[in-house]
Amino acid sequence: MKFLSILLCALIFSGCSKERNFDERELHLISLEKFAGFDPIQVSDRYSGNETGKVYEGLFEFHPFKRPYILVPNLAESLPTVSADGLVYTFKLKKGVVFHDSPCFKDGKGRELRADDVLYSIRRLADPKLQAKGWWLIDDKISGLNEWRTKYASLDHSNYEEAIDGLKKIDELTVQITLKKPFPQFLYALAMPYTFIVPKEAVDHFGKEFLNHPVGTGPFILEKFEQSNEIVYHKNPTFREKFYPTEGAEGDDKLGLLADAGKRLPLVDKITVHIMPESQTQWLSFQKGKADLLELKSMYERAVDKSKELHQELKSKGIRLFMDPMLDVTFYAFNHENPFFKNRKVRQAISLAYNRAENNKLFYNNSALEAQGVIPPGLGGYRKEFKNPYTKFDIDQAKRLLREAGYPDGKGFPEITIETRSETSARQSIEYFAKCMEKIGIVVKAGINTWPELVKKVSTKQHQMYTMAWGADYPDAENFLGLVYCPNQSPGSNGANYCNPDFDALFKQATILQDSPERSAFYEKMNEMVSLDVPWVFGFHRTEFYVAQAWLKNFKQMEFNHTQFQYLGVDLEVKKELSKKF
Amino acid sequence: MTKYIIRRLLYMIPVLMGVSLIIFILFNLVAGDPSAVLLGKNATARQMLEMKEQLGLNKSHFAQYVDILKSAFTFDFGRSWATKQQITYMIKQGAYPSLCLTIPAFIISTILSLIIALVVAFYRGKGIDLFIRFVCIAGMSISALAYILGFQYFFAFKLGWFEISGFEYGFPNFVPYVALPGIIWILLSLGPDVRFFRTIILDEVYQDYVRTARAKGLSEMTILLKHVLRNAMIPIITYVVIQIPYLILGALLLESFFGIPGLGGITLNALNSSDFPVIKAMAILSSVIYIIFSLISDILYTVADPRVKLK
Repeated sequence: MKFLSILLCALIFSGCSKERNFDERELHLISLEKFAGFDPIQVSDRYSGNETGKVYEGLFEFHPFKRPYILVPNLAESLPTVSADGLVYTFKLKKGVVFHDSPCFKDGKGRELRADDVLYSIRRLADPKLQAKGWWLIDDKISGLNEWRTKYASLDHSNYEEAIDGLKKIDELTVQITLKKPFPQFLYALAMPYTFIVPKEAVDHFGKEFLNHPVGTGPFILEKFEQSNEIVYHKNPTFREKFYPTEGAEGDDKLGLLADAGKRLPLVDKITVHIMPESQTQWLSFQKGKADLLELKSMYERAVDKSKELHQELKSKGIRLFMDPMLDVTFYAFNHENPFFKNRKVRQAISLAYNRAENNKLFYNNSALEAQGVIPPGLGGYRKEFKNPYTKFDIDQAKRLLREAGYPDGKGFPEITIETRSETSARQSIEYFAKCMEKIGIVVKAGINTWPELVKKVSTKQHQMYTMAWGADYPDAENFLGLVYCPNQSPGSNGANYCNPDFDALFKQATILQDSPERSAFYEKMNEMVSLDVPWVFGFHRTEFYVAQAWLKNFKQMEFNHTQFQYLGVDLEVKKELSKKF
Repeated sequence: MTKYIIRRLLYMIPVLMGVSLIIFILFNLVAGDPSAVLLGKNATARQMLEMKEQLGLNKSHFAQYVDILKSAFTFDFGRSWATKQQITYMIKQGAYPSLCLTIPAFIISTILSLIIALVVAFYRGKGIDLFIRFVCIAGMSISALAYILGFQYFFAFKLGWFEISGFEYGFPNFVPYVALPGIIWILLSLGPDVRFFRTIILDEVYQDYVRTARAKGLSEMTILLKHVLRNAMIPIITYVVIQIPYLILGALLLESFFGIPGLGGITLNALNSSDFPVIKAMAILSSVIYIIFSLISDILYTVADPRVKLK
């Protein structure tokens, strides 16, 4: 009887699982976070960028394979011509690029991309009525744009017809942008989702719902958008002739990354993105073959054995592990407006008492790199040989410095609250940090906050310390050095409110230089100068892990991967063959 | 009764005013700065000021409170600050998956719990009673997360009987996706429900009328089903009906792990992004539903026990 009931249950529920179709040229991806919508000017995080980059495009993109990152033209015909003073950029657009078919256009047919669309998209980024998350990128950079923004900040509507000095249409396919001062990172800005090109007709037609009805020039068209469930795209039938690159970085050929060289993009017919915020759900779905690619976070430990190799069971299914250092830095920032942290010896003592090696083992499986300064490896200004004397673990020196600062064995030093997000791992990290500080007599407790609460505390300087990670917006050390630049203090990105006039003077000089050995030397000097001053307790440059199914082609880890998905392919033969194993 | 219903509905006015006031105080005193969150990590001070102005956060406190009151009484919650979607549309979209999961699970768990409670009351003090009470307490002692992680791994991944995650709109498409979380819901509810129903039923079992019924020679089963259950209905109705508003608001943890795009997830997202219009809408909606269902439970008392008069 018991056996029969179990059998009955099994029979009933066996119909409850759907099998995946293994003969489709479709990508199944997992997004680790929910996504608010497809308005490029509001896309500030990586997961949103990945979705927006499937339907929209910018003038430039990062080469999918070459490293260090280089820009290549996307909607632009070529790299721009730049005036001798580095202020005037002239861009030629590609001919024959059309927007997706949409009811916002006459007869529903997508029209050709024009110079006006580029200028319109930049104005949208500056429009005070839209409060774009990406405004910081061009704030005070383009001639006349800030004045236009200021003028309309207090009026009901912004006038997009009004002339702006720095934004000019030369002809239907040529745009000229004039900067107020040299801004060498400007081209990076034009590869970021914030500046992806949108047609005015779509913004007008869809109004406030524009972010749910994207109309771009990109390789995919949005078919279904359920924010908390899944996003489905199909191949854009009117996508221009764009071909898979014929060159990559050294070794890419051997890895098979150039096997599709010269093929027309995109390589797949459909993409389904499953929204899965829970790590177990992501990991189980991937192992069932329901996703082709997965960014591993906490599940890394379950994927590898003691020798950090993928488990045999996963290898037998052809699953591959990818790992690459991220362009990021984690840190515990002091609030330099707090009188106790104005004393450099206190900061140095705290930094010396923090056991990074142990932390690395505990939280990153020894895969992270201990940060010596602000700049992560892979960017100009990072010097591998540089060792910050205050990032080693030295309790004796820490105690000595604390004594010299007037707090022998921590006596007289107040309890410190480190503000963090209400995530288990963040809380555990602070518990570990507190354990380290106990050894020098400093009491630390965690301030647990939701993300909005944390942002409020830091932006209003109501914190003693806080912990955070910063990821690169673009591949330039300026993006990291700006975190300790005095004019960026709260509510800006310098939440430590650190001010060092010598550093600030160098920052002003360096950041107007074009990428060159001279600028890298500046960055090196600034990084080392600020590191010795210990504005933060430096944490780590983390490693990013992905697992990919055997049939997924052309995947190479990429920090700025908004446009990467058009290059990914599916090997249907391998997929069919392996289907029995899932 | 009509007068009673009208009076209870009129009570909604001060309740909603109070709820609006609490929302307003919590939002202004405790919650994070929405302008900083909405503008991202590179926001400038000036941009934050402009944003506050656009969101109406620089209005006087009184004017902000009046705005909340207006939303509460007109049910016009406007658009989400984060997704720019109409909040009523978001609620409709989210309520469907939530209800697909919670209604069948709630009905099954309630019926099952009642049946088990009647059985254990029938065999009170015997082995089966002790065993079921032990199982209930053991089941309640295990965290919901343990059920979710364990069942998802074993039944969905290892045995492949269920979908690991996802949701499809329309019947019967959603069934494979809500089956396993539904079973977990039932298991999680059984422990507290059975214990509660058992206590209520046992309270009745020792009443004089039961002794009279036994003296008249009625079978124990008839006494339990016809007399005891009917008399125990008032606390049972209260317990069951008051749970209904929570069904509409979704099962946060289950939705999150099983990728069900319900209202629980919408509320959590709103809290994480300081999306005040959505938080406000969900808080007001919860209070209204709660008031309505507590009124329904009052009306049901008169059905269960004709001696009850609503005045």
